[in-house]
Amino acid sequence: MNSELNAFLLGMVGVPLVLMGLIVAVYGGETGGILAVIASRTPMLLSGTNDFSSYSGGFAANIIISFWAMLLSLVFGCLLGIGMIAQNRPLRLFSSFVMNVLRNSPWLVVLYAMLYLLPFELRLFGATIYLSPLVKAVFGLALPVTANIAEVFRGGVEAIASGQWESARALGYRRLQILRHVVLPQALPLMTPNLMTTYAMLFIGTSLVVVTGTTDVLSVARTVIASDGEHVATGIYIYVLFLFFVFCFPIAILTRWLERYVRG
Amino acid sequence: MTLDFNWLADPFYQLWLLRGLGTTVLMGLYGIVLMLVIGIAGALCLHFRIPVLDTVVTVLVELFRNTPPLVQLFFLYFMLSEIGLTLTDPVTGRSVPLFSGFTCVVLSLGLYNGAIAVEIIRSGLLAVPPQTVEGARSLGYTRLQTFRHVELPIGLRLSMPAMTNNVVSLIKTSSQAALVAVADIMYGATQIMLETFRNLEVMLLIWVIYIVIASLAVMAMRWIGQAFRIPGYGTQVS
Repeated sequence: MNSELNAFLLGMVGVPLVLMGLIVAVYGGETGGILAVIASRTPMLLSGTNDFSSYSGGFAANIIISFWAMLLSLVFGCLLGIGMIAQNRPLRLFSSFVMNVLRNSPWLVVLYAMLYLLPFELRLFGATIYLSPLVKAVFGLALPVTANIAEVFRGGVEAIASGQWESARALGYRRLQILRHVVLPQALPLMTPNLMTTYAMLFIGTSLVVVTGTTDVLSVARTVIASDGEHVATGIYIYVLFLFFVFCFPIAILTRWLERYVRG
Repeated sequence: MTLDFNWLADPFYQLWLLRGLGTTVLMGLYGIVLMLVIGIAGALCLHFRIPVLDTVVTVLVELFRNTPPLVQLFFLYFMLSEIGLTLTDPVTGRSVPLFSGFTCVVLSLGLYNGAIAVEIIRSGLLAVPPQTVEGARSLGYTRLQTFRHVELPIGLRLSMPAMTNNVVSLIKTSSQAALVAVADIMYGATQIMLETFRNLEVMLLIWVIYIVIASLAVMAMRWIGQAFRIPGYGTQVS
């Protein structure tokens, strides 16, 4: 834990210092005023409201979107991963093709495509479901991440020695049963660090949902800049960088520690 | 739902898309060069543990790796205009920003993916067998010469697979350029969407184009890896 703790402290002290230094370098004597603006807009940027009365916008929205997108892509990713290790050759080739296409497509393009591909409202069993921009953003983000998770899944399963498959086979298990009861329990610890990296990547990717019209932290930041003047733009963006860093960096450090723990 | 691709026949739109494609490819190439320069320089600082520089590099790498490239791009774009670096255009006499949107995008791509490249190259350097390094040292190479002639060539070869992913990520990230009004292919697509309202068709086309570019990049990287492979050494490229 020691080397990770050092890296954590270094990052947690060093990065805010660098960002603070940037603010001072850009604004010079006006630094105090800019910091006051940032402080007064903090509730807005964090929750989308002025007084933390609800948590449906701002940085909280990013966290919610990343959570749902991760859940969706975990489900789809495991299915795709199972397809990629299937014995049925057409199914395997098809799954690999889908994985490669999703992995090579830019998130922004997928996000835009989902925005127009998904209908505005959905009629299901007589009930009408309205797909808000937030739901579309979740789907748009989940798709490319699905490919990453499928790849992690496949890598984790293939890291388990083939003897495990053969001995379970000899005991009369079917393939899916072996996967479920023998291989996955062993592969899951190996997969966890990679899954966490994927989540951190997804969270960083949630900054893109600004194009769908969700009130995420970036669109709130743009509103703030529009109302307080272009002048504060640099300060606000530095603050948004700081917010993302504070959320993602501990995950990255924890991942590094887990990786060493699992391997070692 | 029927897909209508009639707008593609319009030469005007074709021109937009082709120009945008050129900008995207150019941006990607510049970005890759900058990324490699930053990656190698950063890895050098970390590898030799240069007293103050290695701490600075570590902190900067953590900063760029753990924050969204989009916010970095916005931040660079606004900061460079805020500190007001401008040139006077000799033809029109107006003052134009020294850093255009294009430069900002290349810078931000180079910094974000360069930070990842630092880690990739560093782990490649760590994977160089210590015997090889000791052998070079005992032949009288200085530390810098060892780095230049032994560690870096082998380390870069070992980091090829991870670097391929990084290049693909750089190409994918470059689509954000449209959000700061750089006329890349994504920007051309948004303009066409505004005029034709064929949103879905345009986006599907752009999707395919990006996948083709990324796949070509993967093939090129694989070819480079194959061409520079030391026979009988290192990871076999399938």
